[in-house]
Amino acid sequence: MEEKLLEVQEVSKSFGEQQVIDKLSFRVKGGETFGLLGPNGAGKTTMMRMIMNIIRPDSGAILYNGEERRKIKGLHFGYLPEERGLYPRATVLEMLVYFGTLNNMARRKAEVEAIRYLDRLGMVEFTDSRVNQLSKGMQQKVQFVAAFLHDPDVLILDEPFAGLDPINQVVLQEILTEYKKKKRILIISTHQMEQAEKMCDHICLINQARVILDGRLSDLKKKYRENAYLIESDSPMDYLHEMKGIKILEEKNNAYKFAITDRSMTITSFFGLIKGKVKIRKFEIVEPSLHDIFIKMVQKESAGA
Amino acid sequence: MKNLFRIARWEFVTRFRSRSFMFNTIVSPLLFTTVIMLPLLFFEHQPEQSTKLVGIIDLSGENIARDLQKELNRYYRLNNTSPEYMVLNVSVNNSEPYQEKLGEFREIQARRDSINQLYNQIKQQRTRYYQNTKLPNRTYLLQSSYKKLQQVREEKELVDIELSRFRTALDSVYKFEAQKMADSLIVSGVLNSYLIFDTDFKETGIIHYNSNNPGDFLDTARLEKILQAIIIKKRILGDNVERSKAAHWLRPIKLKKFRVQGGVQREWDFYIQFYGPLIGVFLLFMAIFTASGYIFSSVLMEKNNRVIEVLLSYATSQQLMGGKILGLGLLGLVQIFIWIVITLALAGANIIPVQKIDYLTINNALYFMLYFSLGFLFYGAIFITVGSVSANEYDAQQINQLLRTVAIFPALLSLMVLTEPNSLLIRILSYIPFLTPSFMIMRIPLSTTPITEDIYITTLIMFASIAVLMYLSGRIFRVATLMQGKKPTWSEIMRWVRAG
Ligand SMILES: Nc1ncnc2c1ncn2[C@@H]1O[C@H](COP(=O)(O)OP(=O)(O)OP(=O)(O)O)[C@@H](O)[C@H]1O
Ligand SMILES: [Mg+2]
Repeated sequence: MEEKLLEVQEVSKSFGEQQVIDKLSFRVKGGETFGLLGPNGAGKTTMMRMIMNIIRPDSGAILYNGEERRKIKGLHFGYLPEERGLYPRATVLEMLVYFGTLNNMARRKAEVEAIRYLDRLGMVEFTDSRVNQLSKGMQQKVQFVAAFLHDPDVLILDEPFAGLDPINQVVLQEILTEYKKKKRILIISTHQMEQAEKMCDHICLINQARVILDGRLSDLKKKYRENAYLIESDSPMDYLHEMKGIKILEEKNNAYKFAITDRSMTITSFFGLIKGKVKIRKFEIVEPSLHDIFIKMVQKESAGA
Repeated sequence: MKNLFRIARWEFVTRFRSRSFMFNTIVSPLLFTTVIMLPLLFFEHQPEQSTKLVGIIDLSGENIARDLQKELNRYYRLNNTSPEYMVLNVSVNNSEPYQEKLGEFREIQARRDSINQLYNQIKQQRTRYYQNTKLPNRTYLLQSSYKKLQQVREEKELVDIELSRFRTALDSVYKFEAQKMADSLIVSGVLNSYLIFDTDFKETGIIHYNSNNPGDFLDTARLEKILQAIIIKKRILGDNVERSKAAHWLRPIKLKKFRVQGGVQREWDFYIQFYGPLIGVFLLFMAIFTASGYIFSSVLMEKNNRVIEVLLSYATSQQLMGGKILGLGLLGLVQIFIWIVITLALAGANIIPVQKIDYLTINNALYFMLYFSLGFLFYGAIFITVGSVSANEYDAQQINQLLRTVAIFPALLSLMVLTEPNSLLIRILSYIPFLTPSFMIMRIPLSTTPITEDIYITTLIMFASIAVLMYLSGRIFRVATLMQGKKPTWSEIMRWVRAG
């Protein structure tokens, strides 16, 4: 199967005087979950709308498998807009069928798929209810179904987890994992870093119209690793404070987070030094959380600017 | 392209099933027609319900009541052929103030009579003196009797003046008393109206009409007509013309009304000519504003609900606009079709007298659809723009209201159109695209000559303005629908138009 690829090349967009996107570039490969992150007003929604062809970039190009976005025909896009919007007086099923047919689905097929997804999200009994009789979260679920009912080639979800209870968050994750297996393009934006960490393979962090961080999540974590470790034992280890070549960063309840400061110090030699003194319960390399990286990078960028 | 039809289908189906469509198609026109026809029904039928009493205060002594009754009977009868009007002399000969005054008048009259007698006696005596030349002191007698005669004549003249003054006073007392009585009869509902004939009504031609409702022009018009005839007859007879000759001259005239069109003569009926086109304008207005109103509310709703973003990600803005126009335009045509079916049904059931309404033709039905389509596209394009630009429903509804008022304005000039459908003013007004559909739909049935030329001109003007509006609204719609919260400035809108 050929590799799918969505490329954003030096895209710029401004609204009036305000430059919202400034020569932004990134690549999204099929089969990976691409996280578009950034603080409020960074330009995520604007970028997504441009990929959806709802608004047009001022300059730059958006390509799918090398073909220009605007000229693509017959490719299906699925979109969950940040601001959810449904027809309040329509019934759930007829509206989903309508959206499905807009994406070239046969009515019958759209109906079957809609009911299947509604069932999965625990909403079959609401198929014939009017949208404005549903709770906010249920409307949100209907909106999801509208986004991936037609099994799109490119799926873009703007803050999909906002307003969902934990159970539905899990269901949604399952659906997305399934979708990912089809090796298609999937882009999500979110402000919930734990979610992004759990879901995304690739992260693109934008701030003030520019990319400030772009890469595979695992690479980023490696890159921003602080050479820090965590050790936990069943009794205090005060002597660690005197030990040369390491620096205690945090301590709490017999758990110590430390960094190796001396190049000659290795983990093996460290273990040699504490051997037999205590019973070790846990030892791990401290990975930086996405949360930390996000804050660190955005603050650094804002201070530098 | 397929999406355009899918959108059209959606708009059509969701609106077709809505309660408001039912209302606009059936209830509203029915209500309007009833309201417009109601006064008509009263107007025609209410007077026939019972005999009306008309009071007469006759100061002329011409016995006008008898003539009036005769003429009224001749023309106006109820269904059961009993007279529609009864004439009643309001007499106050026995009222106290009148009797009192009459007593005084009689006294003076008696005095004048005795003076007259005296005067005549003296005159006769003097004749005798004059003739009898042998009378001893004749000269003296003649002289003294002359003085006496002079005296009596002066007295006589004074009494005559007093008498005529008293006669006027007596008349005005009579009139006052009679009017008092007649008023109370009107208030108590016995009389419908009363007429006052002054002594000189034949010369002045002035007759007072008093009623609760002098604006009831059916009654006044009838009375006017009949009194006219009666007075003229009296005037003619006053000039010593033979009775039979006068009757011949005064034989009543009736206008039978016809209308010339394409060589065919048809009886002309004010109600059909006037109310028919008015109902037509109303229906056209309903059709245009039901359909374009749906466009408007649909754009506004999608924008406010943000469904627009989902839609724009699955369809282009042109498809979205085109779909709405197609779907709701068809809905409008369906609405018109329903009306046509209803009209045919009513005609079949003989409720509408089709044979009398010469403008109910297939051709005119097609014109109706033409002007509906033009009006719909025109207002639809405006509504798309307004709906996508306005920041909130309130602003948008204001503009909606304004446009509706403009569009229905021609109905206010319907009487003008009726009297002169092709006057310069009306022609110029019908070239204004906002007013074109309403004016043209009135002019086509009312004009006696075909106005094909104006149909071509207005269609062209409408087409041109629709093209311009569609171009502009297409460009504005796309950008404006994604805007939120604030109203765009004019310069922003201009920029969108230029940028596309
Ligand atoms: N249609 C528009 N017209 C004018 N300005 C806009 C428009 N859409 C977005 N903006 C501006 O562009 C900037 C970026 O907005 P965008 O919605 O893309 O940010 P975001 O990253 O999605 O933020 P958030 O995390 O709050 O959703 C904001 O300053 C916003 O005011
Ligand atoms: Mg956003």
